[in-house]
Amino acid sequence: MTADSILEIRNVSKSFDIAGGKKLLAVDDISFDVERNSICVLLGPSGCGKSTVLRMMAGLETPTSGAVMIGGHAVDGPGQDRGMVFQAYTSFDWLSVQKNVEFGMKINGVPAAERRERAAHFTELVGLGKFSEAYPSQLSGGMRQRVAIARTLANGPEVLLMDEPFGALDAETRWLMQELMIDVAEKTNTTMVVVTHDLEEAIFLADKIVFLSSHPGRLKEEIVPDFKQGRRIGDKEHVVKLDGYGNLEAHLMRLMREEGRHAA
Amino acid sequence: MSSDTRSKPFFRLRQPAGRKQRLFSALGIWAIFFGVWVFASSTGMVNELLVPAPQKVFASTYDLFAARGFAGDVLISISRVLGAFAMACLVAVPLGVMMGSFPAVEAIFAPFVSAWRYLPAPSFIPILLMWFGTGEAPKLALLFIGVIFFLITLVMDHTKNVREELVETALTLGARRSTVVMKVIFPAVLPDIVIAMRQMLAMAWTYLVIAEIVASTTGIGAMMMRARRFLKTDEILSGIIVIGALGLLFDLAFAALHRWMFPYLRKTR
Ligand SMILES: Nc1ncnc2c1ncn2[C@@H]1O[C@H](COP(=O)(O)OP(=O)(O)O)[C@@H](O)[C@H]1O
Ligand SMILES: [Mg+2]
Repeated sequence: MTADSILEIRNVSKSFDIAGGKKLLAVDDISFDVERNSICVLLGPSGCGKSTVLRMMAGLETPTSGAVMIGGHAVDGPGQDRGMVFQAYTSFDWLSVQKNVEFGMKINGVPAAERRERAAHFTELVGLGKFSEAYPSQLSGGMRQRVAIARTLANGPEVLLMDEPFGALDAETRWLMQELMIDVAEKTNTTMVVVTHDLEEAIFLADKIVFLSSHPGRLKEEIVPDFKQGRRIGDKEHVVKLDGYGNLEAHLMRLMREEGRHAA
Repeated sequence: MSSDTRSKPFFRLRQPAGRKQRLFSALGIWAIFFGVWVFASSTGMVNELLVPAPQKVFASTYDLFAARGFAGDVLISISRVLGAFAMACLVAVPLGVMMGSFPAVEAIFAPFVSAWRYLPAPSFIPILLMWFGTGEAPKLALLFIGVIFFLITLVMDHTKNVREELVETALTLGARRSTVVMKVIFPAVLPDIVIAMRQMLAMAWTYLVIAEIVASTTGIGAMMMRARRFLKTDEILSGIIVIGALGLLFDLAFAALHRWMFPYLRKTR
């Protein structure tokens, strides 16, 4: 346990009740820490329990045993301190972009003037400044995800949890969004936990990769991409060209293969 | 026929018919209908007493409104429909939303509501007449019973269909349960609620006519039953036409309301 970890996952297991009165062990005794202001990526083949772990961090699921700690306290239900961005679009279609971004602040009693200012700031940050009066249905998929990210950030969470946030986007947009996240992490000092099964995305975003193996989901390996030398690099092309990128990708591919599923 | 029907066949397999073609077809079918009607009545193929000519029906429709105070009956019918329907909505919409949001509320009311749905509302007419006499109450009660249980179920089903991610997003933004229901679930389901209301209003008209034909001295249905006593088929047909026109009018009004309330559903790209 490091002094500056914000989230601590302590011996967390989760089993689901499934048909026929049986139980499915989805997550088996996982422990790891997420350091403050870091980007932690949960990687693994699909079905290995990444979403389940993230949802337990969010407080949307309760661990069967073990605990998720935030700032030293056990997570007990969802809260403003942990914002979540889903893969599916979650824009509130009846509200303009501006009102979407204000939503969290509004329900939490932030005064109107401050709300407007913060919303404008984060809308600008995700590159939607010109669209603040538009309705989500008028936006593309990537722009809607930007709305969701701005809405979550504007609410001032300590941790931003994202479950395959760019999984539904085309490759080019996904790339732009990944670079945007590096930019946002630098500018807002928000801790991020990102779930993905995309190796490239994991390597590009991560300060630390937590690799889960499947059935049941166990922690296989914690990997720090040393080749980035502790820097955040906002240009994906640059990262791909660095020495050591290839080695790490090959290593992750091997881990994926061992899980007997799709290798990248 | 226009030029595009020359270049392409009129009956194209699963290809959308153009605007012109649809208008032409719609006018065509009605022209045939009235054509047959006029022909049949003018050549004496049918009994003039049972099937009056369309021009006669339109003339007596005008006469009913202009000289016989039919507008009063129409207004009474409209206010019965709207009054009973509004009361049904006031109960059904909040209850349906609560049932769709909280399985515990559904567990309480669903067994009750779904049982009532199998009872045809008109079967209550005799008992309603005994309980409420012949005033407005039994008619309003019939419409209320006829509409409310279906409306509750529709609203509940639509509410359940609000995507879980929207609810969870609100929760992770720090919303309390009541806030989630009021600020996310309700606005998300509202467009579907308005559609459900539109469908149920059509049903309310059906029950209104039944109520007025069976037990009323006022309203469109009562006028038609009076006309029957005097063998005035033209006035009966006028009543049918007016009921149809009102149904259509209210349906269009609801469609317009829907467009006006939910501009964000119009895609501009
Ligand atoms: N609510 C649930 N009920 C039953 N089984 C579930 C539920 N949620 C997840 N699971 C199961 O738990 C396992 C892990 O799921 P998930 O966390 O979604 O994996 P991932 O996000 O890595 O693809 C899967 O086998 C999945 O079927
Ligand atoms: Mg998942």
